[in-house]
Amino acid sequence: MALNLRHKQTECIIRMLNLNQTVISPVGAGVGTANEEVYKILIYDRFCQDILSPLIHVKDLRKHGVTLYFLVDKDRKPVHDVPAVYFVQPTQLNIQRIVSDTSKALYDSFHLNFSSSIPRPLLEDLASGSVNSDSIQRISKVHDQYLEFVTLEDNLFSLANKNCYVQLNDPSAGEKEIEEIIEKIVSALFCVLATLAVVPIIRCPPGGPAEMVASLLDQRLRDHLLAKNNLFTEGGNFTSSFQRPILCIFDRNFELSVAIQHEFRYKPLVHDVLGLRLNRLNVKGEKGGMKSFELDHSDPFWMANGSLEFPEVAVEIETQLNKYKKDVEEVNRRTGGNAGAEFDGTDLIGNTKHLMSAVNSLPELTERKQVIDKHTNIATALLGEIKERSLDSYAKMESEMMIRGGIDRNELLSMLRGKGDKMDKLRFAVMYLISTESLSPSEVETVEIALRESEVDTSAFQYVKKIKSLNISLASANSASRSNIVDWAEKLYGQSISAVTAGMKNLLSGDHQLALTRTVDALMEGKPNPEIDSFLVFDPRAPKSTSGSSSSHLKGPFKEAIVFMIGGGNYVEHGSLQDLARSQQPVKHVIYGTTELLTGGEFIEQLAVLGKKMGLGSGDIAPAVK
Amino acid sequence: MTKVRDRTEDFKDSVHRAALNLGYNEFKTATIMASFILQKRRERSPFTKAALKTLESIGALEQFLMTHKKDYLDLRRTTEQERDGIEHEVTVFINSCKEQIDVLKNSINAEESNSKGWLGIRGDNLNADTIAHKHGVVLILSEKLHSVTSKFDQLRAIRFQDAINRVMPKRKLKSGIKNATESSNLQSTEVNNSDVREANEFQAEPIRVQQQVLDDETRALQVELASMLDAVQETETKMVEMSALNHLMSTHVLQQTQQIEHLYEQAVEATKNVQLGNKELSQAIQRNSGSRTFLLLFLFVLTFSILFLDWYS
Repeated sequence: MALNLRHKQTECIIRMLNLNQTVISPVGAGVGTANEEVYKILIYDRFCQDILSPLIHVKDLRKHGVTLYFLVDKDRKPVHDVPAVYFVQPTQLNIQRIVSDTSKALYDSFHLNFSSSIPRPLLEDLASGSVNSDSIQRISKVHDQYLEFVTLEDNLFSLANKNCYVQLNDPSAGEKEIEEIIEKIVSALFCVLATLAVVPIIRCPPGGPAEMVASLLDQRLRDHLLAKNNLFTEGGNFTSSFQRPILCIFDRNFELSVAIQHEFRYKPLVHDVLGLRLNRLNVKGEKGGMKSFELDHSDPFWMANGSLEFPEVAVEIETQLNKYKKDVEEVNRRTGGNAGAEFDGTDLIGNTKHLMSAVNSLPELTERKQVIDKHTNIATALLGEIKERSLDSYAKMESEMMIRGGIDRNELLSMLRGKGDKMDKLRFAVMYLISTESLSPSEVETVEIALRESEVDTSAFQYVKKIKSLNISLASANSASRSNIVDWAEKLYGQSISAVTAGMKNLLSGDHQLALTRTVDALMEGKPNPEIDSFLVFDPRAPKSTSGSSSSHLKGPFKEAIVFMIGGGNYVEHGSLQDLARSQQPVKHVIYGTTELLTGGEFIEQLAVLGKKMGLGSGDIAPAVK
Repeated sequence: MTKVRDRTEDFKDSVHRAALNLGYNEFKTATIMASFILQKRRERSPFTKAALKTLESIGALEQFLMTHKKDYLDLRRTTEQERDGIEHEVTVFINSCKEQIDVLKNSINAEESNSKGWLGIRGDNLNADTIAHKHGVVLILSEKLHSVTSKFDQLRAIRFQDAINRVMPKRKLKSGIKNATESSNLQSTEVNNSDVREANEFQAEPIRVQQQVLDDETRALQVELASMLDAVQETETKMVEMSALNHLMSTHVLQQTQQIEHLYEQAVEATKNVQLGNKELSQAIQRNSGSRTFLLLFLFVLTFSILFLDWYS
């Protein structure tokens, strides 16, 4: 059984659109007699709009009887005779709007669906508001949908949680704020697990936000399983590890280089350079206008060739185009080109048959042509950007740096003075910092001077430099700053430093595999391995007392895994995890999720914000210890 | 599938508590709680009733197709006339459904144009949202009808394929027989010729008669085959025509769907425009009132200055 997150989420949404009744099987069972509420209006808020847009198109909405769809904020007019389906987040503002809508009697009946569990106080607000306005009879149902996450592909999801890395690593963050963030992440992860209907075994590296998230999630799952009518299939005690997947939680500081590096594969390139958001892409077309494309599971070329390097992708487009031209020629030959042939009976009948098959295959051919055109457009736009910013040389140099562990000084300076915009140069410089084993201060200074020459804001650079320098004097940093910072935040900070230390050492091995992939592989294998032995284990189903003895069977090889990255992830990690899953015998399945999908540029911006917060502006060279 | 958490019970509890907090007496609380259980039968507008009826009829059409699909396709169960009868019924049904959809669409347009005749005093029923909703309903109905029609087209296409296949082997068989008879004729004529050469002229006369008879037979067969060929060609042209008509009908339904989709999108645009228009109006009102006060003040000051100057001089 493969865990297909997108499929399950779509099922839940369709069920919600059918007013949470059991879906009537559409094949020949008759329509309309039992189900009087066929036409409905869908109302959502901005977050839920992001959830719905990669999953359902407007045409599919019509198939389920939704005639209109509006934002909750919009000024809406009354429409009689129809039930309204609300799909919103449980916030105070939304509740107020719902109450005002019911009092204005905009629609006949209200079916309220909240994307995660609505807390008691808000429910009471809703109740008192509607009792006050005497409109109780209009609210028919209230449901918790547990769908507070955005699924982009079958095995890729994101929580759309902005600036999570900044908030977690902020040295001035208080205990309450960090707890809030962890709480949000845990509730969203709980929604993911509830949609998949699995209770996984949780593993995480010790220390840092990963451990906090894991323990809170474990607690939440335990409490929920003890309550009656829980959401997970009643399967008794699943002790065999074959049935349960493993949930690995990582922190971004585990491997910093992947988020910053320039990549040359198709999917990461499109995401990084052209700004792919919620599977939508806006590209300058050949005639100059902006065109919008959709890149998701319905596009066979994207699915098949997403992880190829860019030159190979261009070759693939060529071959597809040639194949298409050949097919079109054949169709033409069979049907139209027979003008000169003799017209006897057999040919006429043959022609009819060919005509019919040609007419049937025409829509398929036009679709193929559209896909090829779309990708040609995208590839042309990408090529323009790559040439302008010489992204291929950046990518090559960075991967060489990671493998070799250092770089020739002249090459470094020539790259920094060459082509590419400011963000590229900053990324390159940060990669240099991360990958070089031993930094000599003079080199670092020359790099900084070169950066400042190109008018690049160096706060991110300073931040990473400071982190790396703290790496050496770890113990003293802990003791020196204890007096100033809140205890909790300090503990977090210190642990993040140690995690970054470990992350610095997670350079790429010779076969160019990400540290994340190696670790996940080791965790799924379950054999003792020095890298992962320090990882903690949480099992929500096991009773609290037994933690050590019965855990041996839990470490067996797992067939499915859910990998979650706190602080930001990208398509590179997703791609490499999919490669890992496919290359195993038997084929395993890995779902990758993160708090938000960041491009390299966006992540550097977050680092820069952190640098500025620590007072490391672009002016001073010496790191200022707060 | 995951079970979804139904919080209606919790909601009812909160409602109960809220009612008690607000000091409602027992009777009121009881009525409120009862309203959860007794769902009032809401009066439906005629539009919705008509739309639901059309939906039911399209559903009935689909069921009819499903039940008769096997009979239609299987060659042994039905005769050609029965199949034609089924086709005829289905076509009539499709036409009636299309008429119902047209009636609904015209009613929306009529309401819109009627309301515009008044001084902009529209009832509650005719705001942009409701019109967009009604267009949406009509669009959904028309899409459903289109899907049923295309299924029917597919069944028809299968029937034609079968018919063509049936004709082809027969013709092959016929031409095979024709060749066989020709070759047998040739053989027999050869034999006859050899016989003739062997036999003398006294046997020429009856042999020639035999040849004559065989020739006649051959010619008769040829005529028969030619007529069959003509019949087949006629059938084929008829079938091509029918498939063309099929396509035409489905394109018509498709066109109608597209038109309705167009109208629906325009209606949705209209709701957005109405919202923008409201905003602009409120801005204009603000500006208007602001400038009015300024103007009044200005005139006031001018009047008093004129009076003052007059009094002064």
